[in-house]
Amino acid sequence: MEYEATIGIEIHCQLKTATKMFSGAPCTYGRKANTAVNEIDLGMPGTLPCLNMEGVRKAIMACTGLHLTIDPLVKFDRKNYYYSDLPKGFQITQQFHPIGKNGFVVIDTPEGKKKIRINRIHMEEDTAKQFHLKTRTLLDFNRSGVPLIEIVSEPDMHNGAEAQAYVEALRQTLYYLGVSDCRMEEGSMRCDVNISLAPKGSDVLGTKNEIKNMNSIANIGKAVDYEINRQKEVLDAGGEIYQETRRFDEKSGTTIAMRRKEGTVDYKYFPEPNIFPVRLSPEWIKEIQDHMPELPEVRRERYAAEYGLSAHDISILIANKEISDFYEKVMTFSKNAKGVCNWLLGDVSGWLNHHEQNIETCALKPENLAKLVQMVDDGKINGKQAKALVEDLMEGKDPAQAAKEKGMEQVSDEGALREMVLSVLAANPQAVEDYRAGKDRAVGFLVGQMMKASRGKANPSIVNALIVEELKKLQ
Amino acid sequence: MIKEMREDRANAEKNVREAFEKAQALQDKLNAVVTFADIDAQLAALPEDGLLRGVPIALKDLVSTKGLRTTAESNILWNYIPVFDAHIVDKLRDAGAVVIAKTNMDELAMGGTNLSAYSGPTHNPYDLTRMTGGSSGGSAALVAAGVVPMAIGSDTGDSVRKPAAFCGIVGVKPTYGRISRYGILPYASSLDHVGYFTRSIEDACISLHVLAGRDDRDMTSSFLEVPDYLKELDSDMHGRKIAVLGNVVKNLKNPATIKVFNDLMDALRERGAQVDVYDFDEDLMKAILPAYYLIANCEATSNHSNLDGIRFGNVVKGETMEELMKNTRTNGFGPLIKKRFVIGSYGLFEENQERLFRKAQKVRRKVVDAMKECLKEYDAIMAPASDNPAPHLDDSSADELSANYLIVENYMAMGNFSGYPSMTVPMGFDGDMPLGLNMTCRPFEETTMFDFGKAIEEITGYKDMKAEVK
Repeated sequence: MEYEATIGIEIHCQLKTATKMFSGAPCTYGRKANTAVNEIDLGMPGTLPCLNMEGVRKAIMACTGLHLTIDPLVKFDRKNYYYSDLPKGFQITQQFHPIGKNGFVVIDTPEGKKKIRINRIHMEEDTAKQFHLKTRTLLDFNRSGVPLIEIVSEPDMHNGAEAQAYVEALRQTLYYLGVSDCRMEEGSMRCDVNISLAPKGSDVLGTKNEIKNMNSIANIGKAVDYEINRQKEVLDAGGEIYQETRRFDEKSGTTIAMRRKEGTVDYKYFPEPNIFPVRLSPEWIKEIQDHMPELPEVRRERYAAEYGLSAHDISILIANKEISDFYEKVMTFSKNAKGVCNWLLGDVSGWLNHHEQNIETCALKPENLAKLVQMVDDGKINGKQAKALVEDLMEGKDPAQAAKEKGMEQVSDEGALREMVLSVLAANPQAVEDYRAGKDRAVGFLVGQMMKASRGKANPSIVNALIVEELKKLQ
Repeated sequence: MIKEMREDRANAEKNVREAFEKAQALQDKLNAVVTFADIDAQLAALPEDGLLRGVPIALKDLVSTKGLRTTAESNILWNYIPVFDAHIVDKLRDAGAVVIAKTNMDELAMGGTNLSAYSGPTHNPYDLTRMTGGSSGGSAALVAAGVVPMAIGSDTGDSVRKPAAFCGIVGVKPTYGRISRYGILPYASSLDHVGYFTRSIEDACISLHVLAGRDDRDMTSSFLEVPDYLKELDSDMHGRKIAVLGNVVKNLKNPATIKVFNDLMDALRERGAQVDVYDFDEDLMKAILPAYYLIANCEATSNHSNLDGIRFGNVVKGETMEELMKNTRTNGFGPLIKKRFVIGSYGLFEENQERLFRKAQKVRRKVVDAMKECLKEYDAIMAPASDNPAPHLDDSSADELSANYLIVENYMAMGNFSGYPSMTVPMGFDGDMPLGLNMTCRPFEETTMFDFGKAIEEITGYKDMKAEVK
């Protein structure tokens, strides 16, 4: 039978704030366990939450960037359940009044651009991290209380590529806004993908499965496509899909059942009594929205208009915000947009990958890359020579200086070249005679002699012009 | 008393030690103390000045004290030593107060008798066979017995104001948000107030001056400036308007209470106050207790979900983490607490929440609206804090469906619904047992409340009244 897959995605994203959502403890990653924790994060009796307005600010930025309508009355609720990673026995979240509603992102599909709707964004706090060992479980509360936003999509996606493009689009936006690190591998961005299959044309959705544990965006596409196929096979064989949570196993590229969901859990949500509703002033919201960093979609348009780059080049450039930011710095010194782009995405990126460095921390200076491109454009060095200068460039050296040290810079000084030309003419009277006799190819011979004499450093076009000029004088 | 003690600088240490020793000496009789504090360290670190310098005080055992066991009279916290001080502990220490003890209370403050305490009930200093009332019974007993001039309690339904009535002392529950709750083990967050006991209105003024004020760690704490309550004290009753809560007064049965209360109202009239009987809707008044129970238990069951044995407390192990939590909680809570958790959980279930928890919130709003209406015209709502004096420890005669029980014994939760300042002061005696009067004023008008308290204190002469423990 032919099926249509329906996919909805919930994303948890850690907000980039100095301190936690409801406590003054620092937000860190990779720090020694239980050293970024205070009594609030541990749910000690008598502690109270205190709302981090920086978290609210970041959530507003996310909502704005993703076109959601912001609710200026911020309210929180409790989600009650017992679990060892949840110190208070409840999570403070926004069940009844999410900060943002009804937004969207636009993704590229083979059929063209497609709008994926976002149902809501709400703020909440992260849980502690568990490490299950053979005989015991360790708990790290550093993560407990870290600000999160949960982004809930509408079920608008239908295959792995769309799901992946949606997550990538979200990641790019949130990353550009500085809202989150969006590091899936570190868990600062976590995706739960819901997939259900129904016979094509049916308006009743099938039983959905939730996939967790995808630690890269590439895995999302793989996991979704695998799962669609798996469900299809089960259904075709007359089997039944049970509502369950599955995890993606990277090694085998398959999804594995974790637990079956029976009925829904009653989380007994009710308004958090310790946080009075906070009324955000329209001025404050506007102030945030007026000072948003540039969104990737805006940058995309600007690059096309300002630099005239191709859509393909732009996509690759802006996929990595740091490379893209660096590109703009180089462009303040250069006029060759395409040339700089090629260098950055080609040799520079290659070097960075090979040396496991990134553009922000490496020694490359924007003005030097601009200079290198200019040197090639001016014909001072050729492309081959330029490639030989990459290592120096990446070490922070001035390419002109490096070219000189390597003795590869073309001599373009007219005075010096003219002297050399005169001596070459003097040494080759036959060629001069041939030219007089109308044999133009003698010029080529003389240029060759010049290059030989200058050991390849003479600028060929200047040399050519000078030789012709001097020959004419002799006529 | 506080002023005298503070100014008796030469004997600061002696006063504190005497209080400490008296508390120890009375412990067998009163059972008011859970844990005695280290007074030497505090005496050594006494600040040069402060409104409470050298004044011995006691804290209800739900005030988080760094390094000092804080049990909330629950088995589950019997070994719990906090790593942080409550906001008021910082304030009291800075003001020079010396904590001599952590006091007995109903388990997790859930009760009005002090009978549910894990270490057994506190005995009333006026009659050891009687209860102090609760939940802040231990603090009330120490103040009534003259051990300390001030002790901290907490008030979610009437947990300061009821024991104050039963022990013949002043019990203050200021406006919600006036005193930070940071570090106070919760019962029901939207109803919880930090309160305290004293034996005089002046001491009540000084104490609130120290305790009140904005704390950024409690988002519900007020930014309003804290007045100098003592300086503003004015017992002139001319032009003051009192609403006597008709629903309570007409359901009173105890002749002694009726007489004492009426005489006091007459005396206030003589001093120039206008005293009128004001009736609230009777059904609304009867709905206060059930609404209170629902809201309080719903919030409580969530608030105490952190007591799971994972990070602190009296752990009972299990094969799995889920089992450990189950075992710890089964073993750790008394039967009354479990009952309340079950009720609270039931009230929060999705299918029940609208007709239980949310409905209770609606009742709450209606009660508050009615109070607001009344206080538009009147400066205070007054009524006896209880019909009868403190019951005997083994008394279980209350008819829980009578108007006398539903309204007279439980109306004070109005003050928690609204968060309005409310205070109990001694008004007389029934035999040897004290009787209390309760008053409630407009939000953040503690000054007005103290004015009434001062006038009553002048009329009754019940200032620095101490029980002689026999």
